[in-house]
Amino acid sequence: MKLFRLLFRVAMLGLASAAALPAQSGWEHSLVSIEVTSKVYDAFQPWNDPTRAVRKHGVVIGPGEVLTTAQYLPTHTLVRLQKGGRGRWYDARVTWWDAQSNLALLTTEAPAFWDGLQPAALAETVSRGPDFELIRWRDGNLEERRVEFGQFTVGEGVIGFAPHVQMEVAADLSGLGWAELIVREGRVLGLTTHSNGRVCGVLPATFIRRVLAAHRAGTFTGLGYFDFTWQPGGNPELLKELGLDGPPRGGVVNRAGHVTDPDKAPQPRDILLAVDGFDIDSEGDYLDPDFGHLMLENLANRAHFAGDTVKLRLRRGPEERTIDYVVPVARFADELVPREVFGAPPVYLVAGGLVFQPLTQPFLRGWGDEWRKHAPFRLQYYQYADAHDRRDSLVVLTGVLPDEINLGYEDADLIVLDRVNGRMIATLADLAEALKTASPGGVHRFEFMPGHNLQRLLLDAATLDEATRRVVEHYGLPAAARF
Amino acid sequence: MKYLLCHASGGKPPVTVVARRGAAWFGALVLAWCGWGISLRAEDAAPEQAVVQILTYSQVPEFDAPWRFEPVRHSAGTGFVIAGGRILTNAHVIAWAKQILVRRYQDPRLLTARVVFAGHDCDLAVLELEEPAQLADVKPLEFGELPTVQSTVVTCGYPAGGDQMSFTRGVVSRIEVQPYAHAGNRALLAVQTDAAINPGNSGGPVFQGNKVVGVAFQGIPGLQNAGFFIPPEVVEHFLKDIADGHYDGFPQAGLTLEPVQNPAYRRVLGLADDGRGARVDSLRAGGPAARGLRPDDVLLEAGGYPVGSDGMIPYQGNRVAVGVAFQQPQAGEVLRLSVFREGKTLDVDVNMEAYDGDRLAGSQYDQPPRYFIYAGLIFTPLSANYLETLGEPGRDYLWKGLAELTYQLYHLEAESPGSGRVEPVVLCGILPHAVNADLSVRGRVVVNRINGVRIERLEDVRRALLENQGARHLFEFNNPEHGILEAIDRAAASAAHTEILRTYGIVSDQRL
Repeated sequence: MKLFRLLFRVAMLGLASAAALPAQSGWEHSLVSIEVTSKVYDAFQPWNDPTRAVRKHGVVIGPGEVLTTAQYLPTHTLVRLQKGGRGRWYDARVTWWDAQSNLALLTTEAPAFWDGLQPAALAETVSRGPDFELIRWRDGNLEERRVEFGQFTVGEGVIGFAPHVQMEVAADLSGLGWAELIVREGRVLGLTTHSNGRVCGVLPATFIRRVLAAHRAGTFTGLGYFDFTWQPGGNPELLKELGLDGPPRGGVVNRAGHVTDPDKAPQPRDILLAVDGFDIDSEGDYLDPDFGHLMLENLANRAHFAGDTVKLRLRRGPEERTIDYVVPVARFADELVPREVFGAPPVYLVAGGLVFQPLTQPFLRGWGDEWRKHAPFRLQYYQYADAHDRRDSLVVLTGVLPDEINLGYEDADLIVLDRVNGRMIATLADLAEALKTASPGGVHRFEFMPGHNLQRLLLDAATLDEATRRVVEHYGLPAAARF
Repeated sequence: MKYLLCHASGGKPPVTVVARRGAAWFGALVLAWCGWGISLRAEDAAPEQAVVQILTYSQVPEFDAPWRFEPVRHSAGTGFVIAGGRILTNAHVIAWAKQILVRRYQDPRLLTARVVFAGHDCDLAVLELEEPAQLADVKPLEFGELPTVQSTVVTCGYPAGGDQMSFTRGVVSRIEVQPYAHAGNRALLAVQTDAAINPGNSGGPVFQGNKVVGVAFQGIPGLQNAGFFIPPEVVEHFLKDIADGHYDGFPQAGLTLEPVQNPAYRRVLGLADDGRGARVDSLRAGGPAARGLRPDDVLLEAGGYPVGSDGMIPYQGNRVAVGVAFQQPQAGEVLRLSVFREGKTLDVDVNMEAYDGDRLAGSQYDQPPRYFIYAGLIFTPLSANYLETLGEPGRDYLWKGLAELTYQLYHLEAESPGSGRVEPVVLCGILPHAVNADLSVRGRVVVNRINGVRIERLEDVRRALLENQGARHLFEFNNPEHGILEAIDRAAASAAHTEILRTYGIVSDQRL
C-alpha cells in the first residue's frame, strides 16, 4: 500500500510539475469521461433499487483530482473514469460533492490513469464573450465547438435551490449539460449543467473557484439563501405608501423568513435598499463588479456562505436602519416537500399492506417528465405551503398492497396522513411510534388531512404485525420498512 | 363541431353524495350536440313528428375580459315536444343562446323559441316557441320507465354526418351514477347504451316502443359504442321542480359516504358481517346532513332503500350509488335516513336543500360574469370558467400563481372551513395606462385586501375603493402570507378611470 502511495505521489508530482496550461489543442490531456451508475428512485415501489448509468465529463484540476458537476453522483453505486475518450475505464471514488453548488471531486487510486494528464486552470475571471469554445468527448474524439455568450443570470441550481450566479451560452448542439467544458484562451470558464434548446447553462469558473477554495480550507458551510421574499420596488406609489420618496429603488419585502425578530430579519413592507454594501435598484438587482446587473439573491453567496452575516440596509416605515442578517443554509430537509433526498436510500413503511412514504419532490417526479401536469395537484400544492402545525414534513399513503387486513381499502392512495392513533404524523418514525399503541377497540386509526377524499381508515391491531409479515412475503419486499 | 370537456380539477365536489372514492368523476366526457343543417324527407311517422331540430346561435362571455363576448357560434341539437306544448332538450344545447330556432319534422319553417327553464346541473332545459300555437298539432311524447339493462332502445335525432333525422338502435349497457359533463361538478343517474349517440343527438329522445325512456346527452371520446342518456327519473325530477315556476335544482345533502367492508372497521362500529351500511366519512359544515349526522354514522337506509356496505343501493334491478336516493327528493323535502350510531338504530330526517356554494367551481352558464373595473384594473370572481381561460385542464402547476388560484377555488374551503371566501376575487388583467403602468402585477392573482378591507366578494372591491379617502389605494394580492403589494395614486386613478374605459371601448365599468 505504501509503495502504491509512493508511486501515486511520484506520478502526481510529475503531473503537477507539468501543470502548465494545456495547449489550445491539448484539452484531451485534461478533459476526462465519467461513467456514473446511480440508484433511481422507484416512486411507487420504493423498496426497489433500480439503477441507471450515464456518462458525463470531468476535468483534471489538480493532483489526483477531477472536477465535475454533482449531478447523478449523490446516489452513485459505481463511478469510473476514462481518459482520451476511449480505452480503459478506471474505478473512481467521489471524494466530495455538494448538491447546492452542484460540484463534485473525484479521484482514482490507479496511477496509470493519471499518466499523460495535465491539470487545467480555472479562469480567475469570467467576462462576457462574445465567443467561447465548448469541449467534449464525442464518439471517442475530442469535439471543439464555438458557442456564443448569452448572459449572466442568478437562479437556482439544477439540483439545489440556493440561488447563485450562472452563465448562459448559446450553442448549435444538442444533448449538452453533461459537464462539458466552456473554455477560452486555454482556461476553463465553466462546466455545463443543463440545456434547453440552444441555451445551455454553465457554472462559472469564478463561482467554482470560491466554493473549492472554501472546501479545501475547511470553511465551506454550504450555500445560503435569503429566506424572505420580495418584489421589485418599481412602483413609486407603493414606495411612497411605505414611506420612501424619491426615484424607484429597492426591493419590497412581502414575506418574512423563518426568523421573526425584526432586529435580525426583514419584515413584510420593509424596503431593501442595500445588501452587503450594494445598492438595490428598482428591479431588485445590484451592480456586480464582475458580472454586471444581477438579482440581489446572488448576494447571499457572492462573498458569503451559509451562516455568514450580511448587512441589510432597510427602509422600515419612517426610518432607515441596517440589520445584521444571518444567511441560512440551503438544506433540502428544511423544505416541507424536499426537492431532493440524498444520503440514504428511499425510505418507506408498510403497515398491513398500507404503503407510506415521505412526501418529496422525487416522489412527485414518479409521474414522469411531465410530472408537474400529471402528479396530483393537492400533493404538488404542498410545495408552495409553509410548514405549519409544528409539522415540517409530511407522510403520504402512496398505495395499498391488497391483503385481507386491508379489505375495502384497496383503492386508497395519494392522501396525506394527519394522525395515527391520535398522534400527529410528520415522519415515518412518528408513524412507527404511533403504531406501538393501538386505539380503543383494538384498531389502528389512520386519519388523513381535512378535505382529502378519505378521512379515516382502521386496521386491526392484533393482526397487524402478522399481516405485515404476510404482505412482505407475498409481494417479495426486502423489508417492511426502511427509514 | 364543438366539444366541451368537463373540468379535471382533481377536486371532488364536496357536497355530492358519492359512495365510492375513485369514481371517474371528471372523465373526459363529450357533450353530444352540434349537428348541421337538415332537409327532411316527407315521411309521416309518429312519434318522430314530435322530434325537432334546435339551431342555436350563442355567445359565450370571455371570463378574463368579462365585459366582452366571443364571436357568435352556431350549433345544433335535438329536442322533442312534451306535454304543454313545450320542448325538452339538453341545457348544453341552448346554453348562452342569443337566438334559438326550431325546425319541426318535415317543416321548412324556422320557428323562434325561448328558454323557459334551464337546469344546468341535470343538463335539461324546457323551451317554448314564441308562437306556441305552431306546435298545437303535435302530439307530445310520453315518458316510460327506466329501461332494463340489455333491453333495446332507439335514439332519434339530428347528429352530424347527414341532414336527415337519424335513428340508431342499441341495448342498455348499464345504469349507474355518472358525472354530468355540462355542469362539471355534478353526478346523477345515467344510462349507458351502445346505440350511437353523436354530436347533434343531444337533447333527442331515446325510445322504447313509443315511450321516451331517456334524453341523449353525452359520450366519452375514445370509448367506442358508449353513449349516455338521462333517465326518466332525472327528467321527471326536473319537470316536477319547475312546476312551481322556479327551478331549484337537485338537492345536496353535503356528505361523503364510504364503504364499510373492512372487518376491523365494522367491528369497531358494532356492525355485523351482513353487508349492510355505508359510513359517513365527512360532512360539509352547515350542510343539511351535518345537522343530523355525525362522522362514522352508518347509513343503513336512505329513502327506504337499503344501503349496502359497498355504498350502493338496489334500484330497479340495478345496483347504483346511494347518491341516487339523495337525488330523489325535491329541494325542501325531507329524506328519511336509517342510521346506526353507537349500537343503536335511529331515524334521521334530512331537510334536503339545493346548494350553490360550489357554483364557481363548476361551469357557469347564461349569466355573464360579474366584474368591476377601476383605473384599468379588472376584477372578477375566481371561477372554473375563469381558470379555463388560463389553459387546458392538466396544466403545469409549476406556475405558483396558477396553483394558488386552483387551491383557493377547489380546496381551501373544504380543508379549512370558514377560511375560504364567499366569492374569491381575482385581478384578471390590467388595461394599460400611465396610472397603472408601474404595477408589477398584471393579473391572475387573488385579491386579498384593498385598503385594508378583506375582499370576500366582488362588491367589497367596489366598496374598498370608493370609500377610501387616502392618497393612494393599497392592494394586497394572493394569500396573506405571500402577499404581493401594489399601490396607485387615488386622485390620478379616479381622473384616468373614464379615459381608460373610453380608450378600450368599455361601455360599463361594472356588472355586479
